[in-house]
Amino acid sequence: MTGITTHVLDITTGRPLSGLQIELYDVATDPPTLLNKTRTNPDGRTDAPILPAASARMGQFELRFHVGDHFKAADGLSDVVPVRFAIFDATQHYHVPMLCSPWFFSTYRGS
Amino acid sequence: MASDDLLQPARRQFALSGIALGVAALLPAGAAAQTPAAPAQASGPIVLHGVSPRLTVHALDTFHGAAATGLRIDFSRLEGASYKLIRTVTANANGRSDEPLLIGESYQAGDYELLLHVDEYFTRKEAKLPTPPFLSKVPVRIRVVNVAERIHLPIQFGPWSYTYSRGS
Repeated sequence: MTGITTHVLDITTGRPLSGLQIELYDVATDPPTLLNKTRTNPDGRTDAPILPAASARMGQFELRFHVGDHFKAADGLSDVVPVRFAIFDATQHYHVPMLCSPWFFSTYRGS
Repeated sequence: MASDDLLQPARRQFALSGIALGVAALLPAGAAAQTPAAPAQASGPIVLHGVSPRLTVHALDTFHGAAATGLRIDFSRLEGASYKLIRTVTANANGRSDEPLLIGESYQAGDYELLLHVDEYFTRKEAKLPTPPFLSKVPVRIRVVNVAERIHLPIQFGPWSYTYSRGS
């Protein structure tokens, strides 16, 4: 498998975060180019890879997680959380999860 | 009891590490080379409890288990549709900026960005990473809502991950 996938978990409930708006941008262009816009499903994933295998290529990408709209915490630390990363080898799969609460955000290259 | 006994010397070591660094500078090069590699703890924990409202940052390198000394951070504020640079800071020996990012009159509600130059940092550390690396310039975007409350922003990062949160 190649391309980009993500998975959003709410660390305050220990459950997947569903209905969260996520966008994927190509940030090698100026301004960035919107490649995909979707929402997480009840498993906290997107129904289809946010960058499908057929579109996998080297480049600089950015996922944007619209956590503010979801948590609606008046004092939330972040509104939209960008995660900017490179696909340095298009033959690899890039799984980039987001673990979050209104005041905590963690991401990593997963598998 | 046992854990207290173990913790106390560690705390003293934090306090003394600054002195130890000074001593190390006086030792012959051979002696310094034999010093075991250890996380750089240039000074002890800093207590911010009770200080005036401000925005402070603390960057830690989880790859080396050390303060992210030398990490360059572009600190910007959202003005209209784009982030406008306020200033660039470099993490000091303790992984912090020498001065708070915002304090007093400058501590205003708004949207801010800390752009971490993670690529430059790990290049200097000679970490073996792909080209381009997974993480290059890492934007951390935060919102200041209530300027009556202090915000401390700890950031832990490695070449493949990062975490930030509201601290104290």
